Amino acid sequence: MSAVATGTDMTAVRGRRGVVGRMRNVLGGRFGVLVIYVVLIGAALFFLFPVAWMTGTSLKTIEEVQQPQLSLFPAEPQWTNYEKLFAERNFYRAYGNSIFTVAMVLLGTVSSIAVVAFAFSRLTWPGKNLVFGLMLGTLMLPAQATLVPQYVMFYELGWLRTFNPITLPGFFAGGAALVFLLRQFMMTLPHELDEAAEIDGANPLQLFWYVILPLSRPGIATITVFLFVGQWNNLVQPLLYLQRAELFTMPIYVAQKNNLQESPIPWQDIMAASVLFVIPVMIVFILTQRYFIEGISMTGSKG
Amino acid sequence: MDPSVVARLHNLYWSIGTVAFIIVGSALVGLLARRVTAVRGGSLLTQRRAFWGYAMASPWILGFVIFVLGPSLASLYYSLTDYRLGQAIEWSGLDNYRTLLGGLGAHGRRFMQAMYNSFYYAIVGVPLQIATSLIMALLVARALPGISLFRLVFYLPVILAGGPAILLAWRYMLASNGGFVNVTLKGFADAFTPFDWLYRTFIFLTETFNAFYSGVIRSDPVGPLMYLLPATLGAGLCLVLAAIRDPGLRKGVAATAAEVLVALVALALLRLALLDEVGVHPGLISGVAMLAWFGASRMRAGRSRRSTLIITALLAVAVPVIAAIGGGHGGGYVLPAVLVVVPSLAALLGGRAGLALGVGAAANALYLLVRLVPGQLDEGKLATLGSLISLRSALRDPGTLDYLRTGFAAHAPSPLWLVALLALIATAIAAGWLDRGGTRAVLLGGAGLFGLLTLGSLFDGITFFRQFDVIATATGAVNHHFALFRQVTAQFPDSTRVPLWLGNELWSKPSLILITMWSSGGGMLIFLAALKGVPRVFYEAAEVDGATAWQRFWRITLPMISPAMFYNVVIGMIAALQTFEAVYIIQNTQTEQSIASAAYFLFVRTFRQLEIGQGAAASWILAVIIVVLTVAQFRYSRWVHYS
Repeated sequence: MSAVATGTDMTAVRGRRGVVGRMRNVLGGRFGVLVIYVVLIGAALFFLFPVAWMTGTSLKTIEEVQQPQLSLFPAEPQWTNYEKLFAERNFYRAYGNSIFTVAMVLLGTVSSIAVVAFAFSRLTWPGKNLVFGLMLGTLMLPAQATLVPQYVMFYELGWLRTFNPITLPGFFAGGAALVFLLRQFMMTLPHELDEAAEIDGANPLQLFWYVILPLSRPGIATITVFLFVGQWNNLVQPLLYLQRAELFTMPIYVAQKNNLQESPIPWQDIMAASVLFVIPVMIVFILTQRYFIEGISMTGSKG
Repeated sequence: MDPSVVARLHNLYWSIGTVAFIIVGSALVGLLARRVTAVRGGSLLTQRRAFWGYAMASPWILGFVIFVLGPSLASLYYSLTDYRLGQAIEWSGLDNYRTLLGGLGAHGRRFMQAMYNSFYYAIVGVPLQIATSLIMALLVARALPGISLFRLVFYLPVILAGGPAILLAWRYMLASNGGFVNVTLKGFADAFTPFDWLYRTFIFLTETFNAFYSGVIRSDPVGPLMYLLPATLGAGLCLVLAAIRDPGLRKGVAATAAEVLVALVALALLRLALLDEVGVHPGLISGVAMLAWFGASRMRAGRSRRSTLIITALLAVAVPVIAAIGGGHGGGYVLPAVLVVVPSLAALLGGRAGLALGVGAAANALYLLVRLVPGQLDEGKLATLGSLISLRSALRDPGTLDYLRTGFAAHAPSPLWLVALLALIATAIAAGWLDRGGTRAVLLGGAGLFGLLTLGSLFDGITFFRQFDVIATATGAVNHHFALFRQVTAQFPDSTRVPLWLGNELWSKPSLILITMWSSGGGMLIFLAALKGVPRVFYEAAEVDGATAWQRFWRITLPMISPAMFYNVVIGMIAALQTFEAVYIIQNTQTEQSIASAAYFLFVRTFRQLEIGQGAAASWILAVIIVVLTVAQFRYSRWVHYS
């Protein structure tokens, strides 16, 4: 009796395994991989499409833009859309202003963050945990809380219509999340380095400059690319403080094109400016994607 | 010289100055730290360490003081004034907060609408965004050749969506007339009939839902539907608690629910008190006390608990004294002060702190409900609830409409009552005041009652909406609910109707959600990291047991990545409040109000209209909500599975 029961159970199990196994073969086999690739390519088209559409439009004529039609690329590429931009003085100004402000922010922020992260990771000093806790606390404070009074402060200083409100706060190790990220990186370096340097009579400044900084290059690269993308795209601060066409950075220059009350809307010109705006970010992203993925995973896993 | 060059040079000089300032400042901070250490009797080594540590951390310390601490305090001060840039500052007390949170005047209404918009993004947009990023993560989690390229492509939109360029491209693609998206959709709809049905259903559902939501935002009456949310919540909670067999777990879940519900009630009461709908201070005292006790009941006995209770008691005493000195209204505060001070003292002195606070909270809740909603318990109000619960639809004969005029026109009982009742049930179970049989009876009874109320309000709510035109005429209520919908349907008959995206109020919020779904690669990376952390052994074991792929996903993958899920939910909700760039780029004068986020309101009010005082108040409200969300993330992530 029991033997019969076991026998039926066995067949049932074997049968189920067989079905599951076949399912696995279908999904794991060539056909399954093909299905996954089709889905992946479909999704990739969805994610890339706006970029392609932007590029295609930037080469169209105004007539092509006005017609409701689906062709991605124009009958004949209109490079004049770009030539028009290159003839505009404010375009050069905006591009130059963007490069200048991004460079200043990167310079100030990266160097100050490196020093501060060093103090939080490699030095022991009384009250360090308290100050570090305070810094982590500011992560919770949203930027909006300080945006208004900072505006008043810069207004009182007479810094509206200058680049100072955009670049100078960075010099004070702006961005607690990035300090945290670099500190985590510096913590992973072996502690024997510090002891060896101390025996050689190096002070903390020398330890920082000759030992830790050269070894922290990957961490510094990560925060640099994050800062670059954030700052190149930064719309809010320039919008608040620049207020003058000659000082506009690229984000406002591009956004401003949208506000022109022209009819029909010259989408081909707007998209040409957009393409030129996006190119540096795309290049940096493609070259440094490794750092992005690592950085995001690092900040995400702490939460 | 060109103005931009002049500005760059100006910035260079100031940068050099700033660097010098930081170096000198750092040295001074370091020296100060060394001096302080020396005075406190630190060794020479400690002094040296203090110097270097503080000197090298001080770029951040100086920045904190100059750009965070100082401005925060200034902002707090501005929020209590009517400061307008370039004009004299005048103290205005809590006026700004009252205007904004009460939705008073044009700007208050705009603020509340922005908050409702953000709420919409949080409840509709965030789930969609999470689903998208989870599917993306599952797709790219396998080790296939070329998969890193796909990860790159899926993440690319995040980089681009921060800037205006790609948002402009979206704006162009979403043009309702001849935009790429609509032309494509129309092409598919013309080609395949089943797709056409789907397409029409999608348009119809989106438009009716958004029309209804925009009516709610503009405080159109929703009639019996206003009980739907608390009643469903109550029925669900009672059923969940009844389904949990383990008494310890049940107490834990009940405690969490009680905490959240009490916090909700207390916040609603504080808002009522702020709006002076019941006389500010008595309600304020009890509200603060309940909040403080709810904190204290979760703390271990000790210093922080003691100080919470002492501060609460002192506040209760101080407010009536101040009021008596100021306006002579001190008498009204005596009762709430006693209600706060006695249980606080009892908890401080006696051993049964939980009991004392529980009794105090119950007394306070009772006091607040009686005081805040006078007339809530009269016959007509109870009859309204009674008819809903007994499913004797009062709308059987909509022709007379008496029920609507009396029951739901203006003075219907507040749904807050139901939430308070629910909080009481949850607290009682969490505190273990009921025995086993009692808990069961209360839970099943509660589930039945709340369930009937859900059904009743749903049935009557449907009738209410079908009769809405008649009702609006009869009660004189303004009908925003479907006015927009009718306007759209009149303008675009069914055959030519297309999604109007950025051109219409009913479509602007879905458009923004579509764009955020497109750029949800950040969430994908976080899910991806979590997926990599799931041990393979689990899947192998499940496979041996014959689990299907579907079961493996629900039973293993989802629980294992729940911390990442929770993190993404909170981040998404915070982002919903802070969205700025997308709103700024894709709004137009027609849709500005319907798409504005809280951050966008802040921008317009402060930097376009230069109302610093009100902007500062808005920024503090925003900051408090964000901090609460962040704290909740840490606090409640314990019921999320951490391995």
